Amino acid sequence: MYLSRLHLRNYRNFAEQTVELPPQGVAIIGDNGQGKTNLLESIYYLEIFRSFRGAPDEQLVRFGEEVFRVEGTLRAPDGAERTLAAAFERRRRKKKVTVNGAEPERLADALGGVGAVIFSPSDVEIVAGGPGERRRFLDIVLSLAVPGYVASLQRYRQALLQRNTLLRGNAAAALVAAWNEPLIAAGSRVVAARARWVAERRDSFAAHYLRVAGGQPGALSFDPCFGEWTSADTRPDAVAEEFRAELERSADREARRGMTLVGPHRDDLRFSTQAEDGSALDLRTYGSGGQQRTAAIAARMVEAETIRETRGRESVILLDDVFAELDPGRSQRIIEWIDSSDGGQVILTSPKPSDVQVHGHSLPRWRMVAGQVVPE
Amino acid sequence: MSVIDELTGELARLPGIGRKTALRLTFHLLKAPAEEAQRLSRAITAVRERVRACERCGNLTEQSPCAICTNTRREHGLVCVVEEASDIMAIERTGEYRGMYHVLGGRLSPLDGIGPAELNVRPLLERLKEGEVREVVLATNPSVEGEATALYLHKLIAPAGVRVTRIARGLPVGGDLEYADGVTIAEALNGRREL
Ligand SMILES: Nc1ncnc2c1ncn2[C@@H]1O[C@H](COP(=O)(O)OP(=O)(O)OP(=O)(O)O)[C@@H](O)[C@H]1O
Ligand SMILES: [Mg+2]
Ligand SMILES: [Zn+2]
Repeated sequence: MYLSRLHLRNYRNFAEQTVELPPQGVAIIGDNGQGKTNLLESIYYLEIFRSFRGAPDEQLVRFGEEVFRVEGTLRAPDGAERTLAAAFERRRRKKKVTVNGAEPERLADALGGVGAVIFSPSDVEIVAGGPGERRRFLDIVLSLAVPGYVASLQRYRQALLQRNTLLRGNAAAALVAAWNEPLIAAGSRVVAARARWVAERRDSFAAHYLRVAGGQPGALSFDPCFGEWTSADTRPDAVAEEFRAELERSADREARRGMTLVGPHRDDLRFSTQAEDGSALDLRTYGSGGQQRTAAIAARMVEAETIRETRGRESVILLDDVFAELDPGRSQRIIEWIDSSDGGQVILTSPKPSDVQVHGHSLPRWRMVAGQVVPE
Repeated sequence: MSVIDELTGELARLPGIGRKTALRLTFHLLKAPAEEAQRLSRAITAVRERVRACERCGNLTEQSPCAICTNTRREHGLVCVVEEASDIMAIERTGEYRGMYHVLGGRLSPLDGIGPAELNVRPLLERLKEGEVREVVLATNPSVEGEATALYLHKLIAPAGVRVTRIARGLPVGGDLEYADGVTIAEALNGRREL
């Protein structure tokens, strides 16, 4: 399955643009500020129905316009096609998503339709940024890979918001406690899904890190707010029990502080490498820029594997200017990884023409100039 | 403003009706026989004048207490607590439930400033004090708010020595009682569990 056609209307700096993409992908070359990232962002919009850069939908509407629309056609090897479309209306703040022309019952049903993974220079924030960045990474991957994860996450956030409103207003303990079970029920499903994913994928992360870093070891682990969940069959009911006990222990502190202090909204991931003496070194605090970048790339590779296994097909790899900040060795090993995943579609961008040779020299080159795509 | 605009504007304020539909309804009423429009107008007036909340259970009724509360063949020892009066109609349509009702008039939602004082919680406790009720079925929606409301009521009612049950999760998560089909509601009621 690959993206065969993309149609944009009033998306960022694109007025009206239709592109036909070949199965192996394309290399998009263009100066700064021409719309390369915007194009990848629009493709990935069809995957998660929001901006991968975290921009609100209003910002995606072309200046002076009211509605943007993105439509993508995916083609399977047997020629079968599927059309995904998303449109957003600024004034009414209305988003409409369709799959083959029909609106899905819930947005969650349409998530992950492209089967894409995006690599971008800002990925380094997954490793170097605050815990919120890492939870965001986890939540997007799990929303795409675990059925029911989005629903649990939404219920958890809603219960958390309601409970925090009570705590902030010094409400009676009995009233606050009424929200504990909904919080625990949804929250422990979230924690269990996170724990299982990390447990299932840590070996793969270590292998990718080792290869990209040219022999240096790296590790990924789950750093939950409470408990120690390292097993690939962590069960929600086991988490729930501990969550309940933890809430009881913190009840007084929560009342004093006026907010919920325990739960998956305080989970984190830990990326580490090994120090000379064999001890683990936290990459967020002690990692070099290159090490942090390598860990972020390994995390995206693990994401790509997860998406591929969930969808049962090669993922569409979007590379936004990723080689610019890497040494030639690391760049080469990423290209080897892509080439080894035989033939999945790769759409990459770069400001410089000479950069990259993914899939041999087979990627056609396009130029991007002021929101216009021109084949070279 | 013309009377056409006025009616269109009023219709467009109704839930689920946009401006286009409102305009279509207005023109339909103008084209249809005058009698049809008058019937609609009389029905709207009558419903507002004659329907009110049952003094006992909160059900919408023309006579208070309502037909359910005064029906001696129904089980008066069983009370089903719902968020809205419209939930009663959904449950009644299944024909499976033979007990009484109690309408809360909403659910706990701190974000919207709705606490126990904003709901018909006290009248429920007073009903229970009368001693006739043996079981309370909490049939609030399966949303997080509905769950929290059920848990709060459970803690409140349990000391009175009444059996408290919660309808089973046959209901789609995030779905509202009002929109669930009859079979689903009936299964959820039959599968109610101890809290
Ligand atoms: N809503 C919008 N309407 C119109 N233009 C927009 C909108 N949002 C962003 N832009 C424009 O898009 C351009 C940035 O595009 P983009 O980020 O895709 O650049 P790029 O080609 O990836 O550049 P670089 O090589 O620097 O990363 C800017 O010129 C910006 O003004
Ligand atoms: Mg860019
Ligand atoms: Zn009544």
